[in-house]
Amino acid sequence: MAQTVLQLIIGGLAMGFIYALVSIEYTIIWNASGLLNFSHERLILLGAYLFGAQFVVRNGISNPIAVVLMLICTFFIGVLISYVLMRPLRNLPLVFSVTGTIMLGRIITEGVRLIWGNNPIPLVGWLEGTIKAGELVINRTYIIIIIVAAVLVAALQIFLNKTKVGTAMRCVSQNKKAAAFMGIDVDRSSAITMGISAVICGIIGILIIPLFQLKGDMTGMIGIKGFAAGVVGGFGYIPGGIVGGILIGVLESLSTLVVPGIYKDIVSFILLIVFLLVRPSGILGHKA
Amino acid sequence: MANVLTVEHLTKKFAGLTAVNDLSFTMKERTIHSLIGPNGSGKSTTINMCTGSLPITSGTVKYRDEIISGRVLHEVASRNIGRTFQNLKLFGSMTVEENLMVGMQAQMKDGILKFLVSPASAKAEEKRANERAMEVLDYIGMYKYRNETVANLAYGQQKLTELGRSIMTAPKLLFLDEPAAGLNPSERVEFVKILLKVFDDGIDLFLIEHNMDVVMNISNYITVINFGSKIAEGTPKEIQNNDEVIAAYLGSQFKKK
Amino acid sequence: MSDKYKKILMVLIPLMIAIAMPLIVTDNYFRGIFIMTLIYIIVVLGLNFITGLTGQMNLGTAGIFAMGSYTTALLSTKLGISPWLTIIGSIIMGLIIGVGLGYPSLRVQGVYLALTTIGFGEIVRILISNFKFTNGIMGIRDIPAFTIGSFSFDDKLARYYLYLVFVVIMGVVAYRITNSKWGRLFKAIRDNYEAVQAVGVDIAKPKVLAFTLAAIYGCVAGSLYAVHMEFITPSVYTFDLSTTFIVMMMLGGIGSVPGCILGAVVCTILPELLRDFGNWYWIIFSILVLLVILFRPNGIISFLKTRKKSVKEGVK
Repeated sequence: MAQTVLQLIIGGLAMGFIYALVSIEYTIIWNASGLLNFSHERLILLGAYLFGAQFVVRNGISNPIAVVLMLICTFFIGVLISYVLMRPLRNLPLVFSVTGTIMLGRIITEGVRLIWGNNPIPLVGWLEGTIKAGELVINRTYIIIIIVAAVLVAALQIFLNKTKVGTAMRCVSQNKKAAAFMGIDVDRSSAITMGISAVICGIIGILIIPLFQLKGDMTGMIGIKGFAAGVVGGFGYIPGGIVGGILIGVLESLSTLVVPGIYKDIVSFILLIVFLLVRPSGILGHKA
Repeated sequence: MANVLTVEHLTKKFAGLTAVNDLSFTMKERTIHSLIGPNGSGKSTTINMCTGSLPITSGTVKYRDEIISGRVLHEVASRNIGRTFQNLKLFGSMTVEENLMVGMQAQMKDGILKFLVSPASAKAEEKRANERAMEVLDYIGMYKYRNETVANLAYGQQKLTELGRSIMTAPKLLFLDEPAAGLNPSERVEFVKILLKVFDDGIDLFLIEHNMDVVMNISNYITVINFGSKIAEGTPKEIQNNDEVIAAYLGSQFKKK
Repeated sequence: MSDKYKKILMVLIPLMIAIAMPLIVTDNYFRGIFIMTLIYIIVVLGLNFITGLTGQMNLGTAGIFAMGSYTTALLSTKLGISPWLTIIGSIIMGLIIGVGLGYPSLRVQGVYLALTTIGFGEIVRILISNFKFTNGIMGIRDIPAFTIGSFSFDDKLARYYLYLVFVVIMGVVAYRITNSKWGRLFKAIRDNYEAVQAVGVDIAKPKVLAFTLAAIYGCVAGSLYAVHMEFITPSVYTFDLSTTFIVMMMLGGIGSVPGCILGAVVCTILPELLRDFGNWYWIIFSILVLLVILFRPNGIISFLKTRKKSVKEGVK
C-alpha cells in the first residue's frame, strides 16, 4: 500500500510539474501580451512531432542533436506566431483573441496530421525504463520529468528576475504603455516570451512521449489542466502556478485510490471551479 | 436648507499611500458644489468613494439621511445619484440614442416574461423611454447626432452623450468628474450653459474641475483639498482671497481686489 | 417605406429558401445535414446572448447541449415521457444550469468565466461517459420520435419542417430580445460594465439572464438533436464542439441574429461542399476563420449590412 501511494505520488509530481510549466506559460504570455493562449497543447504536440517524427524517425538524426534542432525550430515558430497572430489579436476583445488562439491550435493539429499522418509513431527506447530503489519500482520518465521541469522552473525564475530581457518582460507585464515610453520594444518582448513559451512546450512534448506515445491526442487535457493549476495557485503569479500544478498533479494521481481511474480527469476541473467560485485569488492569495 | 451630502472623516489608503485623509465637508441642497485642488490631491478618489466606485478605507458618506458608504456603484446610482467619469465611459459600439436609452434601464421595470407574452406593453414602455431620450437629446443639443455611433463622435459630443445618459437616470444629485476638461473654449461655454440648465431643473451638482473660470462662475460653494486633506472652503470669493489656497493651487492671478 | 420592404424581404427570402431546400435536394443524407443546420442555428442563437451580445466567453456550450440531449433521452426512454414534454424538461434544465452555474461564476471577471465553462463542459462529458444510468460511453439508444396522434415525425422531410418551426419561433424570440431593452443592456455590459452600474443597474442580473437564455436554447437544441439522432453517445459533446459553436457565431456575425443563422448554415454545409479538399479541408477552414477574426470581426453578415443613417438624414 505504502509503495503504491509513493508510486502514485511520484507519478503525480511528474504530471504536476508539467502542469506547473504550462501554467507558467499561460502566465508569462498573459503578462507579456494580455492574451490567453489556448494553443499550448497543440504546440506541445508540434514539439513532440518535430523531434520524434521529423528529426529522429525521418531524418535519422541522433537524439541529443534532434532535441537541440527542435528547440531552435520551436523558438522561431513561437516568434513567428507572436508577430503574425498575437500582435493583431492583442487589440481585440477577449472573445476574439481566445477564439483566435483556439483556431491556431486547430491549424497546428491539422498541420501535424497532414505532415506526419494519423498513425502513432513508435519511438523506441526514448527516456524509457524503470529505476529500482529497494522494493520501489519507479518509471524512469517520471524522474527525468521532475528533474528537467524543476531545473526549467528555476532557470525561468533566474531569467525573469536577473537578466535584462527578463526585466524588460516584467516591465511590459506591469504597464505596457509605460514600458513603451521607456524604450522597451513591446512587440519584441512579446515575441521573445512567445518563443520561450514555445520552447517550453517543445520540452514538455518530448518529455511526455514515453508516457502517452507520439500520436495526435497525446497531450490530452494538459493545456486546460495547466490553466487550472494557475487558478488554483493564483493566476498571473508564477509561484502560484507551481504550487497549483503540483497540487493538481498529486491529487489527481492519488484520486485513483478512491474512485475509478476514469474519474481522474475530473479532479482538476472540480478544483478549478471550486477555486474560481470560493477563492478566485488562489491558494497563495496573490492579487493578479 | 437640508444637507444633500455629508462626508465625515473620509479616508482612503492605497498600499502605503494615503490619498484622502480624514476629509469632512457637507453639501447643501440647491447648490453647485465644487471640489478643487492640485493634481493628485485626491479629488477623483473622493468622488469615486462617494459614488461607490472605490471602497472606502474609513469614514462615512451620507446622502440626505441615508448612509451610502459601503454600497457599490449600482446601489448608489439607484438612489438617484448620477455620475460622469473623468475618462469617459460610454457604450462605444452603440448610437447616441441607445446610450441614452440605457440610462432609462433601471426605470424600465417590465420583466422578461412580461416582455415575451405582452409585446404591446413592451412597446409602450420602450416608447416612453424613447420619448424621454428624444427630450434629453434635444435638451443637450445632440438630437441631430442621435443615430451616430458614439465611438465616431468628437470628444465634446461624447462628453455631452455621457451627461445626457446620466440625466436619463432622473438623478437628484449629479457628480461630474472634470466636465470641462478637454473641451475647447466654445464647447466649454456651451457645456456650462447646459449644466446651469440642468441645475435649474432641480438637479444638485457636485463637480471636480480644473478650469477656474468655470469653477468660479458657476459654483455656490467650494471645497479645496491638497494632499488628501481639506485646506479651505467657502464661497468662490472667499476662496479666491484665501492665501493658503493661492499658495497651494490658484496662483496670484485669481486674487480679486 | 423601402426600408420596411427590405426587412420583409430579408426575412422572406431566406425562409423561402429554407422551405424549398429539402424539396430541391431530396437526398436523405443532405436532408439530415439540413436538420443538423437547424439544430445548430438554435444553439448559436442562444450562445449569441451571452458571448455575442454580453461579451462573456462561453466555452462550455457542448456541456449545455449534452444536458439537453440527455434530459430528453433519459426522460423518454427510461420514464416513457412524450418527447414533447421532455422539451419542457430541457427548458427547466436550462434554467437550472443558467441560474446554478451563472449566478456564482458571473460574479468573477471574463477570463474566469471562460474557464468555469470549459470546466463545466468537461465535467459533464466525463460524467455522462461514466455514469451507469447514462449507460456510459455506450450511450442511449431508441429515443422516440415526435408524434401527433398517429402521425410520427420520423421521416426526414417531416422532421425538417417541424424543426424549422422551432427555429422560426426561437429565432423570432431571439430577434425580439436582441432588439429590446435587454439586448441593448447586454451590449452595454459588453462595451462598458462600469457605465452600466453607474446608471443604477446591477449587472449580475442581466448577465445571468443572458447565460440562462443561452442555456435554454442550448438545451432545447440538445433535445432536438437527441430525437433526431435516435441514438446519442458522449463522444459528440467535446470542447471542439463548443469552439465550433463559437466559430459559427463569429464567422456569421457576432451579436447579430441573421449573422448567427448565416454562420451556422455556412459552417454546417460548407464542409459537405468542400469534400474535394479532403484532408486539407479543416486547415483551410481554420485559416479562413482566423482571417475573418482578424480582418472582419463582424463576420460575413457585415458584407450585406446597409450603411447606418448618416448625420444629415437625421437632422430634425
